[in-house]
Amino acid sequence: MSNPKGFEPVQRRRERKRDSGVFSLEGLVLPAGLLLFWFLSTRSGAATVLPPPEKVFSVLLAPGADIASSGSLLWNIYVSLVRVLLGLLAGIAIGTPIGFLMGSSVFSRRALYLVTELARPLSPLALLPLSIIIFRDTTLTKVLGLTYLRYSRHIFNEVQLGMIFVLFWGAVFPVILDTMHGVRGIRNTHYEVARVSGAGKWFTFTHLMIPASLPDMLAGYRMAMGRTWMVIIAAEMLPGTNSGIGYLLRYSYTITRYDVMLACILIIAMVGAVFSKGLADMGEARLTLRARER
Amino acid sequence: MGAAIQLLEVERRFRENGGELHALGPVTLSVAPGEFLCLLGPTGCGKTTLLRILAGLDAPDSGRVIISPGPARGKIGYVFQEGALFPWLTALDNVAFPLRAMGKSKHEARTRAEHSLYEVGLQGFEASHPHQLSGGMRQRVALARGMVADPDVLLLDEPFSSLDAETSRKLQKMLRQLVSGLSATVVFVTHNTEEAVYLGHRICVMGNRPGTIIRDETLEVEGERDRLSSAFTELLRSFKG
Repeated sequence: MSNPKGFEPVQRRRERKRDSGVFSLEGLVLPAGLLLFWFLSTRSGAATVLPPPEKVFSVLLAPGADIASSGSLLWNIYVSLVRVLLGLLAGIAIGTPIGFLMGSSVFSRRALYLVTELARPLSPLALLPLSIIIFRDTTLTKVLGLTYLRYSRHIFNEVQLGMIFVLFWGAVFPVILDTMHGVRGIRNTHYEVARVSGAGKWFTFTHLMIPASLPDMLAGYRMAMGRTWMVIIAAEMLPGTNSGIGYLLRYSYTITRYDVMLACILIIAMVGAVFSKGLADMGEARLTLRARER
Repeated sequence: MGAAIQLLEVERRFRENGGELHALGPVTLSVAPGEFLCLLGPTGCGKTTLLRILAGLDAPDSGRVIISPGPARGKIGYVFQEGALFPWLTALDNVAFPLRAMGKSKHEARTRAEHSLYEVGLQGFEASHPHQLSGGMRQRVALARGMVADPDVLLLDEPFSSLDAETSRKLQKMLRQLVSGLSATVVFVTHNTEEAVYLGHRICVMGNRPGTIIRDETLEVEGERDRLSSAFTELLRSFKG
């Protein structure tokens, strides 16, 4: 359809405005203002704890450079991301089947709901010391038996099982609960359609239960991803490791490299935003499909 | 020739809040192959319960249900009241669902589903999702899904009750034409007398609590039914009275 410029129907203009999403010109005003304030305050001669922005940006612009023999920014981000990914995958791999079980069988729900509800509010970080005691310094290198890697700088050396367990704890409950809700939300009529169609158990599982609960499952994964990112930063600031972006953040504080510290904060924020945005887009299409039907 | 559907002293009770609701029965009924039977009755008279028992979605507390030729996968088509389409599937895949469930190849299922959609007048809407279709179109998809496997018995549970009068009449006419081309035995549940008189070869009126058949009549009118004819009005009056 071609409308002469300026004659766009009012209705559509409104819709476009509503759909403008997270990023907009107006949204940039506040960050730009803060940046300016920061810049001016470090210029004004007044004593300030903050390093000037250009120093922070120079750290960000050289992400491959080693920082106080703790590895580069990139290396530490990489370490944190790999840990998060493994913890998240463990949470998804274990939480999804449990969620399906609890969603589809009254017995499993009764048997597991109490434990889930009691364990869920327990902060994953509270388990870190215990986790370190249990898993000691076991790393992926040890588990895989790749002893020749032990003294090299390899990612496997940085993946401590204790850390992964804590992340798993942060991820598994949102996955379980959302999957369970998704499965429980499947309409009875849809099951009956499958039944009168002569669908077997496996077909019903793959062609009804999975697609019907997928929006909730994805919502759970998204929640888990956000939570593991929060947990890893805090976990890396605690004893038990000397790598990762959280570790670098804390270490730079200790050695008063506040420029590095601020750079770390910015990176953590950006990665978190990318995480939630990416998964939001993924879930959106199917979520709206289902919302429209109800 | 034997009956396609036979019900012998079928009864169903529901237990709720400590009490017991005698929903159905005893119902004894025999439906001939190819017959178009309308189960007519007020809301809550157990007609849906009866249909669900026929479909195997519910089991009677006592009595026997015989559906010949034997219970086989895909031999029963069922059209639900509304909202029974899968929102994540396209119209085509919704219709193909029973065939896929029976283990037919994707190609065969799609080809047959395409034909089925064509028959209900929805060619061109294969790729649409249910939320993109109107209520009437959704029920057409549901009809196509019920008939796609060429069932011996077609069961319909008030499929047009949520539609406006005009759409409903259009679909009634279409259903008549479609069914006349099939060999299926049809049981059509409705609370709408006019719909029953327009569609049925035979009308069983059900009474309330417990639901039993209080009137069973085979209609004489053959061929295309004219809603404006005096014979039609006469029939309508006799059932409404």
